[in-house]
Amino acid sequence: MEQTDSVPRIMVVDDDPDTVSILARHLQREGFAAIEAISGAECLRIAQERPVDIILLDLMMPDMDGFAVCRALKENPRTAEIPVIMITARDDLDARAEGIRLGVSDFLAKPVFRRQLASRIRAQLDMLAANRATEAALDKISSHTRNGEKK
Amino acid sequence: MTALESKLADPGLKSAAAQALIGEHPTIAKLRTLVERVATTDATVLITGESGSGKEIIARAVHDLSRRRDRAFVPVNCAAIPHELLESEMFGHERGAFTGAAAPRHGLFSSADGGTIFLDEIGEMPLQLQAKLLRVLEDGVVRPVGSDRSAKVDARVIAASNADLLAAVKKGSFREDLFYRLQVIPIIIPPLRERRSDIPLLVEHFLDKMRLRLPGRDWVVTREAMVHLWSYDWPGNVRELENMVERLIILCEDSVIDAASLPANLVTGTRMVQTRIPTSLGEDGVNLNALVRELEGRMINEALKQTGGNKQAAARLLGLKRTTFSAKLRRCGVIAPSGNGREEL
Repeated sequence: MEQTDSVPRIMVVDDDPDTVSILARHLQREGFAAIEAISGAECLRIAQERPVDIILLDLMMPDMDGFAVCRALKENPRTAEIPVIMITARDDLDARAEGIRLGVSDFLAKPVFRRQLASRIRAQLDMLAANRATEAALDKISSHTRNGEKK
Repeated sequence: MTALESKLADPGLKSAAAQALIGEHPTIAKLRTLVERVATTDATVLITGESGSGKEIIARAVHDLSRRRDRAFVPVNCAAIPHELLESEMFGHERGAFTGAAAPRHGLFSSADGGTIFLDEIGEMPLQLQAKLLRVLEDGVVRPVGSDRSAKVDARVIAASNADLLAAVKKGSFREDLFYRLQVIPIIIPPLRERRSDIPLLVEHFLDKMRLRLPGRDWVVTREAMVHLWSYDWPGNVRELENMVERLIILCEDSVIDAASLPANLVTGTRMVQTRIPTSLGEDGVNLNALVRELEGRMINEALKQTGGNKQAAARLLGLKRTTFSAKLRRCGVIAPSGNGREEL
């Protein structure tokens, strides 16, 4: 789902269109491409259809809440490895415990601060870069072994 | 052997990689495969990871899984040895090569002959020595200080750095040719905060180690405490987490580790590294605007925390009018509405 040289694609999911557009604007200002989704169903549809690097997911949404969206993302092999950063109230330990159980990668507390947003996203992007470097190193070893080269 | 012992014991060499890299995060799983695969080659490896992320453990795992496992693994911390001694430590010296060199001495490269030399904090190596190391890597020979003869040496080189070595290359403090020569196979260990999902598993692993050390005792970590452990940024990475688990167990009076057992900095969520606000000017001066913004942001954050996100009350706490507070809120970077209210800021 990741890509090397392109601008990182961050999906913002919240039922409130204003929040989505404020967050999206800030992500663009940080140099990311923002994909907007105003419901859990829309998030799942987009994640299924096109490449997304990180999903910024609000917990409190009507119809399908952040937990349900996260569960669906993790159950689908196509989307299971996309890091999910869940936005919750700062002190909501129950919500965090449930998010941890569902496999979220990180949390952002409300209110969302610009610096925190950027640093949480960068951390996940760094992890994705380490993941790609590891895959490339594995490929390199395989091709050396195939060519019978002894390094 | 008890069930616990066999769970922690080393049933085969393959588990060296598993012990070095505990976790189920997809990146960690791939890294375990990489460690096992690179061990079957003699390729030079460059390990990058923050302090406490387990660079030396991984280097040892590569050695233990390799055909060199019965020969020496020689760790060298390039930052711990004075620059002027590093060359003779690494390559050895002849008698009289310098003051105090009364007898000839083998270097660490010779000690690692047939085995593995682990060059930790390679970024600290002086430039002049980097050139010599490059020659060793290319020709497979070392020349002791003060000698005109070179000797063949067959040591696998694993280097490690806790910083991005490429940045040092760009800055000119690390040789580009050496960087590429070292980085035949890069191993990048992500910091713990980038793979938090492994924290519960690691905590359980360290508890198992303590159960083995203190037989008959047992501990549970409450859900709340686990959420705090999960949410902390762990700048000292896996090593810091292991130390924390040990400390919690030593201080634990009963067998329950709950949120109250945790140190304050771990619970309060002071997770961002904050800019220090200096009280004097210093030689370089300060950026007053940035400092004022920092202080404002911190106080506003505190006020919102104390009031559970109620902006009216937060403004009162800070002695500000609601409108002024909102303007500051926007400026200091609060970018999404807080709490239940959906109002736009």
